[in-house]
Formats: sequence, C-alpha cells, structure tokens
Amino acid sequence: MPNSLSRRDFLKVGGAALGALTVSKFVPPRVADAARTLGVLDPNGDGYIPTMCEMCVWRCGVLAKVEEGRVVKLEGNPDHPNSKGKLCARGQSGLMNTYDPDRVLTPLIRVGQRGEGKFRKASWDEALDIVSTNMLKIKEQYGAQAMIFSSTHNLSQVQFENLLYAFGSPNYGTQRSLCFNAMVTAFSLTYGIEEPSRDYTNVKYILLTGRNLLEAISTSETSNLMDAVARGAKLVVLDPRFTKTASKATEWLPIRPGTDLAFILAMINVIVTEKLGDCEFTARYAVGCDKLPNHVSFYTPEWAAKKTGLQADSIRRIAREFAAAMPDSLAHPGWRTSNFINSFQTERAIATLNAIVGNIFEPGGCLNAESPEASGINLGKPTQPAYPRLSSLRLDGVPWKYPLVPLKLGVFQELRDAVLTGQPYQAHGWFIARQNPVLSLPDRQKTLEAFGKMDFIVTIDIIMNDSAWFSDVVLPESSYLERYDPLTPVGSKVFIRQPVIEPQGEAKSALWIYKQLGQRLGLGDFFQYQDEEDYIRQQLAPLGYSLDEVRLHGYVEPPAMQKSQEITFNTPSGKVEIYSETLANAGYPALPTWEEPPSPGADQFYLLTGKVGQHTQFGTQNNQLLHKYEDYPRLWMNPEAAEKLSLKDWELVEVTSEVGSVKVPVQVTPAIRADCVYLTPGYGHLSKGLRTAYGDGVSDSELHVTYVDPVSGGQALSQTFVMVKKA
Amino acid sequence: MADKKRYGFVIDVSRCIDCRACQVACSVENSVPLNHTRIWIHDQGVQGTFPELSRIFIPYNCMHCEHPPCIEVCVSGATYKDPDNGLVLVDQEACIGCGFCVEACPYDARYLNEKRGVVDKCNGCIQRVEIGQKPACVATCLGGSRLFGDLNDPGSDASIALKNAKSVFRLDVEGKNIDTDPNIYFVNAPESLTSLVTSDAFKQQGKAVPRAPEYTISEEGWKKVLIPAIAAGIGASFLVQATYFTKQLIEGEKEFDE
Amino acid sequence: MSSHKNISIVERRRLCEKKYKKHNLANILTHWFNVGMWALLLPTGIAIISSPRLGLSPVWMQELFRNMFGGAANLIKFHYTLGFIWGFVLIFNILVGFRKYFVPFAVKRMLLDKDDIEWLNTKPLQMLGMMKDKTLPPQDAYNAGQKLYMYVVILGTLGIMVSGPIMAFRTIFPPLLKQIAQPLHWVSVFAIVAGVIIHVYMGAIFPEEKEAFFSMFGGKVSAWYARAHHEKWYWEKMQEEMDWEEEVARQIQESSKSRPSSAHSQPST
Repeated sequence: MPNSLSRRDFLKVGGAALGALTVSKFVPPRVADAARTLGVLDPNGDGYIPTMCEMCVWRCGVLAKVEEGRVVKLEGNPDHPNSKGKLCARGQSGLMNTYDPDRVLTPLIRVGQRGEGKFRKASWDEALDIVSTNMLKIKEQYGAQAMIFSSTHNLSQVQFENLLYAFGSPNYGTQRSLCFNAMVTAFSLTYGIEEPSRDYTNVKYILLTGRNLLEAISTSETSNLMDAVARGAKLVVLDPRFTKTASKATEWLPIRPGTDLAFILAMINVIVTEKLGDCEFTARYAVGCDKLPNHVSFYTPEWAAKKTGLQADSIRRIAREFAAAMPDSLAHPGWRTSNFINSFQTERAIATLNAIVGNIFEPGGCLNAESPEASGINLGKPTQPAYPRLSSLRLDGVPWKYPLVPLKLGVFQELRDAVLTGQPYQAHGWFIARQNPVLSLPDRQKTLEAFGKMDFIVTIDIIMNDSAWFSDVVLPESSYLERYDPLTPVGSKVFIRQPVIEPQGEAKSALWIYKQLGQRLGLGDFFQYQDEEDYIRQQLAPLGYSLDEVRLHGYVEPPAMQKSQEITFNTPSGKVEIYSETLANAGYPALPTWEEPPSPGADQFYLLTGKVGQHTQFGTQNNQLLHKYEDYPRLWMNPEAAEKLSLKDWELVEVTSEVGSVKVPVQVTPAIRADCVYLTPGYGHLSKGLRTAYGDGVSDSELHVTYVDPVSGGQALSQTFVMVKKA
Repeated sequence: MADKKRYGFVIDVSRCIDCRACQVACSVENSVPLNHTRIWIHDQGVQGTFPELSRIFIPYNCMHCEHPPCIEVCVSGATYKDPDNGLVLVDQEACIGCGFCVEACPYDARYLNEKRGVVDKCNGCIQRVEIGQKPACVATCLGGSRLFGDLNDPGSDASIALKNAKSVFRLDVEGKNIDTDPNIYFVNAPESLTSLVTSDAFKQQGKAVPRAPEYTISEEGWKKVLIPAIAAGIGASFLVQATYFTKQLIEGEKEFDE
Repeated sequence: MSSHKNISIVERRRLCEKKYKKHNLANILTHWFNVGMWALLLPTGIAIISSPRLGLSPVWMQELFRNMFGGAANLIKFHYTLGFIWGFVLIFNILVGFRKYFVPFAVKRMLLDKDDIEWLNTKPLQMLGMMKDKTLPPQDAYNAGQKLYMYVVILGTLGIMVSGPIMAFRTIFPPLLKQIAQPLHWVSVFAIVAGVIIHVYMGAIFPEEKEAFFSMFGGKVSAWYARAHHEKWYWEKMQEEMDWEEEVARQIQESSKSRPSSAHSQPST
C-alpha cells in the first residue's frame, strides 16, 4: 500500500462490494450451459473461459476462472501474444469492473437537470425509442450531420462506424487526436503504416522518448523491455520526469519538454555526418536519405544542447552508441504523442532515425514496418447496402482545414470547438459510445458548454461516467466479461471475446445496441446479423472455422499465408519516405524539421501529463481494487521550485492556467525538472454516480488549453503553462 | 531432509517496476479485504539529488521463515509450518483471531480480517501450487521479478536465480537481532540497499521493517505475571495437600476418630 | 472441634447413626456433571494451548489430541461445544433455582463471619504444627476454607464463561477482547485447578472427611460428623428438629381439639 495510507478512506463503499467476489449458488445461467456443452466448463460449472481484456487498448488474452456462475479470477492467456500469460494490475482487477456496485444495469432516462444525476429506470424499448425519436428529429430538422457520434476505438468500432455512416453523418470524434495523431500521421506518411511493431528479442540499444513503458503498461511490451534490460540491453530514456521507466534506464536525460525533436535531429546529424549509418543500403528502401546531410547540418549536438538543456557530449555519444548497435537499435515510435505541436516533427525524426540505422529493413528486426493489424487474415463481414453520400463538411475540419489528418483519426477537440462556435453549422445531438469526453478533452468547461448546446445526448457506458452523468439517456452496455465482440486478428491468430458470465441486469452488448438502434432509425438493412453469434459466424465464414472451435481455446490460427520476402512500404513511392512529397505538396517541410516549442514565462511551469500503472486514463478510478493500490494524485514539483514558493510536501496548492484552476496537494520530489509540474490525469470526476472515485483528486482537463497541430490534428497537451501558489 | 521441500521466494529487486499487478492478483485470488493487503511493495522514494537519481522497489510478503516468531505465540495452534513444504500457514478454522501473531511478525506481514474474525497472510498460494500453477503474484509479475519454488531443489528456477545472482540479501538483520531465517531472498539489489535496511529507513506505516517481534500486553502479562502466579498458587495447593497427606500417612488412619 | 470431646460414647453412637441431609439431588447431579465435563474440558483445553513462548502444554499432548480429533480446528470445536453445553446446563440450573435456592444459599452459607476469619488465621498455622492448643472456632455448613474455595470456583467459572464465548464467537468480538480472553480463560481454569487440588484431597482422601465424600453421592452426613466439623450447622439442624417436634405436637393438639372425642381415636405418635 502506498505511504499515503493514512490519508485515504478505504471504506468509502462498504465491504459489501467485495462480497460480490464470494461464490454464491444459483441456477447456472445460459452462457455457462453453452460453455459446459463445449467442454470449457466442467459439469459443476467451474473452469476457465478464454476471452480478451478491455481494461486498456492492449487487449491481452484472458483466461477467466469461473466458479458457479461467477468470475473469481483472471489469468493472462499464455497463447495470446499481448499477454503471454500475464496481466497487469488493471487486467487483474477486471472482475471488479464487472462487479462494480456502481454499474449502470438498466437504461436510464434523465429526469432532473443535466448534471443533477437524477435518472429514472426505463425499459430498453422505451429508451431506444426515445433515442431514435430524438436522433430522427434532429436529422429531419437539421440534417444528419447535426448528429455527432464519438467513441473510443474498440472492438465493436466497426459497427459503431456502420451506424454512423448509415445515419449519414460525417461527424465522428475519437480519442485519437488526444493521443497518437502525431505518431500515426508521421508514420503513415513515412512508412505507410500507422505504427511499426517492436521486437525486443535481439535489441541491444533502446531509446525511449517519453513512452513510459513501465507505467503506461502494455503487458507484453513492458515485460519484453524488462527482459531486454535484464539481458544487458542499454536503455536511454528522454523524459522531463524521472519516471519508473527512467529508474530502470541505463541513462536518463531530463530533457526540456518539447525539445525531443532537437535531440533526435542532432542524433541524425551525428549519424549522417560521421557516416555511421549505411546510406547506400538505406537508399534502396528509402527516399530522401541523400538530402539529409545538408538538411540536418544545422542541427549539431551543440545546437541541440542549448535547446534541450542537456550536454552536447552526451547527445553525440548516444548517437554513436545508437548507430553502433545497429541494426539492433530501436528508437521507440512512442505511444501517446500529443505533447507539443512539434510532436509531429518529432515523430517524423524518429521514423527517420530508425530508417537510417536500417533496423526496419531487417526481417525479424527490432522494428517492423508491417502493421500489427495487417496479418493477412481476411475476416468476413455482413453484407449491407451502400452508405448515403455525405455532402456536408466535417465539423472537425478534416480535410478542409486539416488536409493531412487521416479521416479515421479526425480532430476531436476541433469538433468540440465547432459545437461552440456553430461554424460551419450547429450540431444538435451527440451520441457517445464508451468514451468520456468531459474528462479527456482539454478545457473541460468548454466541453460542458458544448454539452449545453445539445438538444439531445445519449451515452453508452457500463458505469455512470462523467459524460453519462451529463447525458439525457444512458444505455448500459455489458462489460467485457459479459459480451461478444467482433473477432480480432492478432499476429497469426484470430481471437474472440466471448461472455464469461451472463450479463448482469439489463446490460447488453454494443453489437446488440447498435442493431436495435439501427432498426429503429430505419437503418435495419445495414445490420445484417441476427445476433452476436451470427455476426461472428459471418466473420469466420471465409476462414472455415465454426464458432465453437474459436470459443474452445479463445482463438484459431489459420494456416500462415506466404509472405513475400520483399519488404515494401505502403507509401506513394513504395519506399520509406524520409523526404515526403505529400508533405511538400501540402506546404509543409518535406524533411523532419525543427519547430521551436513555446516556453513558459518566468513564473510559469510546463504542465506535464502521463500515465500510472494502476489506472487507464479516465475510466478505471472507480474500480475498488485499483483504488486500493493507487497513489493519491498530487502535483509533482521539484524541491528547488517548491522552496521558491515556500511550499511543503502535501500542502494544498492552487494551479492556474489561462482557462481554469484547480486545488490539489503538492508532492515535492526531485523526480521532475524545476520548470515542470505534473498531474496524473483521470481524477477529479464530476459524476456522483462514481461513489469510489468521486471527490478524489482533480482533473487536468480543467487546466488544458486547446492547441491543435495543423498537420496531424494532434492536441498539444504539454503546451499548457500554469502558475502555482499556496491555496 | 532432501525430500522435504522448502518453498520460498526469490525476488529480483532490479526488475520490480511497482506495477502492483501482484497485489491486485493476490487480492483477487485470496479474497483479501479492501482495507488490507498480503503483499507490500516498499518504495523508499526517489534517492539522490536531481538529476542523479535512483529508485528501487522492494516487494515483500510473508517470509515463511525457518524460525517464525508468529508460531511462537500462537495459542490455538492455528499457525504452523507445513512439514512437507515449509510454508507458514494459518488454519483459519482453528484461528480465533486474537492477533498475537500479528504483533509478533517482524515484517508486519499478517493482518486481522475483521469480518471473518481470523488472521490472514500470504499462504504461498498453496491452492494454486498444488495443482501445478504458480502463485498469483508470480504468474502475473510483469517485470519478471518474482520467483517462487523449492529452495531445497537446486534445479528449481528460484534456486538457479539465487545461484546466479550478483548480490543477495535478506531482511534478517544481525544488528537488530532478528533471526527469523526468512525464505525470501532479494537478489540483484544495488549495494546502497543493505544500508537502507539496517538504518531503519525501511519503514512500513511508520514501523521499521524488519522489527523485533512485539508482544501484546495480554500476552506479556500472561507470560510474565499470570503463569508465575498460578504456578505459585498450584505449588502452594500442592504443598498443603502434600503436608496433610504426609501427616496422614505417618500418623496412620484411625477407625474411630476422636 | 474440641467441644464435642466431652460427649459420651452412647450419645456418640446415637449421633453417628442419625443422618442429616446436606446435599439435595440437584447439588449432587450438578457437582458430578461439573466433574465429568471438567474431565473432558481440562485435558482438551490444555492440549489446545500451543504457544511455544508460553510453554503451557507438552507438544506430545497437543499432537496426541489433535490426532485423536482430526486436527487443531476440530479439537477446538469439540472443546467449545462441550464448553457451551457445560455453561448452559450450569446457568440453567442456577437460574431455575435462583430465587428459591441460590440466593438464600449465598446469603446463608457463603459469607464469611468472625468465626470464619478466626478460623482462617488459626488453621494454616495448626497445619504446620503450631498453635496446637488453640481451639478452632465453630464452623457453619461449610468451613471458611470451603467458602474461600467457593469464591475461587465462582469467580473462576465466571471468568471461564465470559472468556470462552469471546474466543468461540470470533467474528463478533474485537481482537483486543480476544487477546485478553485467552489469559483470562487460562488463569480462571488454573486458579480453580489450584483449589481443586486441595478440594479433592480434602474431600476424597483426608480420612476425617470420609463422610463428606459419600455425602456427595447419598446426600447425607451423620449428626456426629456435623457436630464435629460444622458445629453451627449442627445446632441449626437441632433447632430445625426441635421446631419440627413443636410443630408436630401443636398439630396433634389442634386436630384432637377439632375432632369429636371418640373411644376409637388413638393418639398419634
């Protein structure tokens, strides 16, 4: 338990909740019957059902231990490449997510004011009718485009998008622009894929730019990194904070926020100038390598030292070490790269750095330019009629304001702002699926204002999260342990998410909800599946497996397709585009180029954000098992800075940005640069329906200013500067 | 002796990332209440001055000691060391939940489950080990820090890790006269750590770990006051009746009493 | 004890044959019930205490009993099940006769008076061979030593009955009470054991008390025994007898008055 034990109230919700974990006898439910017939559960109803986790995006394979109709333990599925038999703290706590006493188990209709939290229970029929009636009303009065759909990408995304396109709205918001737009856009333009996969088997030198892998946990990758370090690989971490990843690093450099770009450019400078890379080899697979020496000549380590606040010698040395280890060196592409507007260039530079040491050209090398999703497995899907043509502009400015942002990613914060301005037209309805924009979008007040402009808001969620709290209708989805989701290829296998227990209360799967809603909206033709099992059978049809076969072990492994030995890249030129014609045509620098990031004023701090290993963004703070083992979220501040402000550890401080202010206890720690402060995101929930999480900590969404990178559409979360003083 | 197992943990301190998956997994596997824990992860905090910093995490739980102070004080016989595998276990049917053992443990590894009225602690996940699984904490350890196995078997991966370790220490401190002979071996810790342990800086909720066993007032009173008092009382009674009886034997019995 | 030394042999013989009732059936059954339960509770209780630090019972005994009962938990369950039965029966018996029997008994027989105090000061010294010429003051139905023993037993039994359930109902009571209950239970038991050592010796082995031993089966003692050892009670019994004789005489007188005189009526004897 963290040292802050005495300051926590662990018994906010009574011990009755953990009583939910004790086994109780009742008539075995339908799902268990089916699993028994399949042989997965024994005649008593006990056994392990394979499925997939949903506590974060890594989606580890899970073996759920069932006893008498209740999930009693979750284990990592050793056959799933993302878990390899392990689960992180969030994965292990997953059953508390399902048995959370604050789950929404019936459809709810708002009866008080928005934000009062007064709802009445309703039947699915009534709730779905209200939703469809309101959506159709908006469509009729203002056009389909007045209805915004937003979701956090997940396994049922394909049917969410089906609903969106069938309805005819172009307006789609996703968390991606708050997360990895910079990386995805940069790597799509450079390698032709969204995200290169990483292989740590032989890696000798790892450069992490942020990417706090030991706290922003991706189970198998986190384990692989630790294995590599234990094996003797050198780990260099660039981070303004001394994170847990930094604590395991061979070398940690407390780089000035926003200047990773300078560091990488200087590394490229050294490698190219000292001819440490293999430009001839590179030239076969990459375009623009020859233009580099001239382009990066200005970016010397000495220049970078001034920008980053680090030693030029270190930069030079690291560049040489990195090149020396090639091709077994890896500059990590990053994960959430929504830091600065120049993050896009940083990502372009990282892509370039990897290319010039050739690690992506090695089959079985550290970096794989084959998309993790492009496994060559073709799943079937239900047929459907053609979608209606979209005639109106997207409210998020893609592509008319942001020509290079992929349609799939969008610019969510722009969408929210357009609701407020009413330009180019006013949106009137918002359909939110498993997302919490109230906490995730920067500048929370604006998001709540945008909610105020809505005639109708409907949210699909499993718990009364903040966005649900402010909605007109809440539709209860079944938790991941209670539902089917469409099949997912991972590597060479196809995995299933299947129900481990019967859904509690009235909760239903997203597949069911979307179809029901679709039918009521007159779009039934677009949902050509009877139920979840029928949907999955249609997906399996081209592969020739039965549903039972997949359910038995949780996956099937179709015979591997012959892959060509040739490495090709899905870019216009077919090669890695260090020099991007596309960027040049759009009027942006064609090669990775320095962009000066803003700096805080004299009394200001960079407001940093990041992740902790015990929570997933904004969705898990109510989970009592995670709440038990979390650290109380305080504002990190360096002792030097704290002394200047006469602040003592745990003292309450007021943090103010240009859009808002919060009060939070300070944590005086040397683990952060003196010009930075840090807040763990995900706290400061507004919903009183989250009885464990409500009242804990503060939300940085109250402080964040909206900054959009014009190239990738990514939000620049670390460009908000704050002032801190005693509260 | 070669047949007897000695289950213990080998924890590679350099690999613990404080992700707390072990704590959550253990809580679920063993129905640990929300206000207690069987596993602690000690974090001394960030050491050093910026930017020369270091940080280390020391996960620990019941040490399944060879000389457990908890067994010394258990009155009902509920706590025992399993003769077959060396684990220190609690028979919760026999435990009355008095808490003498909780005070006695130098590692504060035990807790009282108020609802069930019994004492609980790490049991080596014996229910999993028996069916060939690893303890919940070990199975899910992301950093690969935790190992569990028969330390008497040189072929177990725990024994092998111990053999290949660059450094080994245990929380069994001479200076504090704590000789529990614990079965958690911490390996690959930086040298600075051993001084940390002996300096009382390693604390859990304000108490040093390890600390000398503590005894409750009632247990101390029992041992130091009541036992001598009763011994004296019984001794006196015995003397009385012995005196009479001796007299009786010497003087003989009279049929017709005065 | 010496006041009876002047009684003639004839009188002594008469007194030896005359019997007084000392213990009623309820007393007798309760006493032996207690003995029987203690015979089971004491060894199992000792076998349960396994703290090596206290060292209160031999390990072989602990293991023997655990094997007999199939484990420490079963042994404990047996012990407190018996304990509850014991406690229930005792409390039931006391409560049933509480007002009519127990209260008067407590008031009449259990309180120490001047004679008792003097006896307590004299007797132990006499045992050691001193003060041989002093006569002990007369005692009541139970001598001072026996009264002290009663106190030990009552306090001890209360201690056992309070501490036992605290340990048995482990989910109800907080740990601190359970910690105190253990030494309290043990000290209550062994205080009684210390008393029992003397009680058994005096009751069963000491020749002068032979009649007392058998009275715990038949309920009666001879008047001679009473006169010798419990003089005040003897006089009380004498008074009772005389009162009874008076009452009978009065009743006869009254009945003969109320009846018509008849040649056939016989005086009652």
